[in-house]
Amino acid sequence: MLEQVKQAAADSLKLPKDVVCGEPLLSFVGRCSVTIENYRGILVYDDSTIRLQAKHGRILICGKRLHIDYYTHEEMRITGQIQSLEFES
Amino acid sequence: MKERAEYFLGGYLLIRLTGFSKERFLNLCMAKRLAVSRLEYQDGGCQFIMPVKDFRRVRPLVKKAGVRLRIMGRYGLPFFLYRNRKRKLSAAGAAVFFLILFVMSRFIWNIGLEGNYRLTDDMLLHYLDSMDIRYGMRKSLVDCDALEESIRSRYPEVVWISARVSGTRLLIRIRESNAAGEIPLKDETPRDLAADCAGRITRMIVRGGKALVGPGDEISPGDILVSGRIPVLNDSGEEVNALYVRADADIWVKTEETYAAEVPFLTSQRTRTGAVRRGIRIRLPGLGFLLMLPAGKEENWEISCVSRQAVILGDFYLPVWTDRLTACQYSLSQRPWTREELETIKNLIHERKMQNFTEKGVQIIENDVKMIEKDGAWEVQGRFVLERPAGIGQNIRQEEETRLPDERN
Repeated sequence: MLEQVKQAAADSLKLPKDVVCGEPLLSFVGRCSVTIENYRGILVYDDSTIRLQAKHGRILICGKRLHIDYYTHEEMRITGQIQSLEFES
Repeated sequence: MKERAEYFLGGYLLIRLTGFSKERFLNLCMAKRLAVSRLEYQDGGCQFIMPVKDFRRVRPLVKKAGVRLRIMGRYGLPFFLYRNRKRKLSAAGAAVFFLILFVMSRFIWNIGLEGNYRLTDDMLLHYLDSMDIRYGMRKSLVDCDALEESIRSRYPEVVWISARVSGTRLLIRIRESNAAGEIPLKDETPRDLAADCAGRITRMIVRGGKALVGPGDEISPGDILVSGRIPVLNDSGEEVNALYVRADADIWVKTEETYAAEVPFLTSQRTRTGAVRRGIRIRLPGLGFLLMLPAGKEENWEISCVSRQAVILGDFYLPVWTDRLTACQYSLSQRPWTREELETIKNLIHERKMQNFTEKGVQIIENDVKMIEKDGAWEVQGRFVLERPAGIGQNIRQEEETRLPDERN
C-alpha cells in the first residue's frame, strides 16, 4: 500500500523513482562496465556471476572475468565482459 | 585522484579472502563502511585492496563471517619508507632535490608576453632588461605595479597592461591601442623638387612652387623640376622680391631601366642519404651537455632542433632547457640546370623586379626579358619602360629678401 502511494506521488510530482521508491539505478558503459546504485547487498560473487539484493528483488549479472571495481553502501561498479543482466523476483 | 593519494599516503594492503561466506564478509565491510576495492575472483577466493586504517577494524568481521584473510602485498608510502629505511643517501638525494626545487622557485625563470602586436617581444624584453627585470632575478624584487606604470608611460600605445608573477613565471598581458597615431604636422619648410632619375616628363601637376620644366622635356638626375623660390616682379618686370614656398607637384617621367642577373651554370643539389642521428642537448645557465653520437669529419649534416623549457605544473618553469636535435645526412652534387628550370628562374627574377616596381607605384609600359650564356654562366637580362613618379625634395637656402626701392628716396 505504502509503495503504491509512493509510486503515485513520484508519478504525479515527477520525482525520480530511484530516490522515492529505492529502485535500483543501473548505468551501463557498453558491455564492459555497469554502475549500480540503490542495492542492498551482495548475495553471490564469482568471476562469471554476481547476484545482488535490491529492495524489491534480485539482480543477476552474468559474464566473464567480472570484477568489482569498488563498492560502497551507495553504489558499486562492476567491470568485465557482461553478457546478461536479469531481474529476479 | 584524491582517493588514490589517500591510499598511497596512508598505505594499503592486497588481501586474499578465502572461506565459505565471502559475500557475508563483503556485506559486513559495506555496513561498517570499510573501503574495499579492486575485488577480483581468484581460484575459489577473492583478492581486494584495503587501506591500512580500515584493515585494523576488520578483525571482528572476520570472526563473524568465518573467513580467512591473508596479506599478499603491502603498498604505499609508509611501507616504502619502512623498506628503504637504510637508504640514507637516497633520502638525502630526495631532500636535496626538493631543496633545489624550493630555491629555484624563488626566482623568475620565464617571462611571458601576451597581446603585443606592434611592440615586439624583443622590444619589450630589452626594455624590461633596462629596468633590471630579467631571467634569474628574485621574485620578491619584481614590483608589478611599478612595472605596469613604467611600461604604460614608456609606450603610450599600450592602453591596458597586467603584470603578475605566477609560479616562476612573470606574465605580462598587454592590450594595444587600435587608433591611428597622431596626425603628423605638415612640413612647411621651403624646398625645391629635383629629379631623381633621367627620362622624359609625360605629365605633371604643380600644387606649390614654380615649374621649371614641362611635359615633353628631357630631365636628368639633379635637375630642378619645381622651384620653391617664386620671384615677385614689379610693373616693369624686374624682380623686386622673392617668396620661398614648399614646392609640391606630381611629376610623371617615362624612363627605361635595364637589369642583369647572373645565374650559375651549375646548381648544387642536396640529396639526403637517409642516415639520421638524434640527440638531446641539455642547457643550464652557463652550461650545456650534448648527448649525441659524433659525426665523421667529411660528412654533411643538416641539423634541426626543437627547444623546450622544463616546466612543472603549468607555471613552474625551471632554468633547464632541452633541445631535441635531429641531424640528417646529405650529399652534395652538381648538375647543369634543365631548360624548364632556367625558364622558371628567368620568370621568377623578372616577376620579382616587376613586383618591386608595382609596389613603388610605378607603371610598367613595356617589359621584356631574355637569358643568354655569358662567361660560363647564365645571365638574365631584362628591360622595362616605366612611367614613374619623379621629384625629390631639396632644401633651399633663402637669400636675403630683395627689397623694392623706396620711391620716396
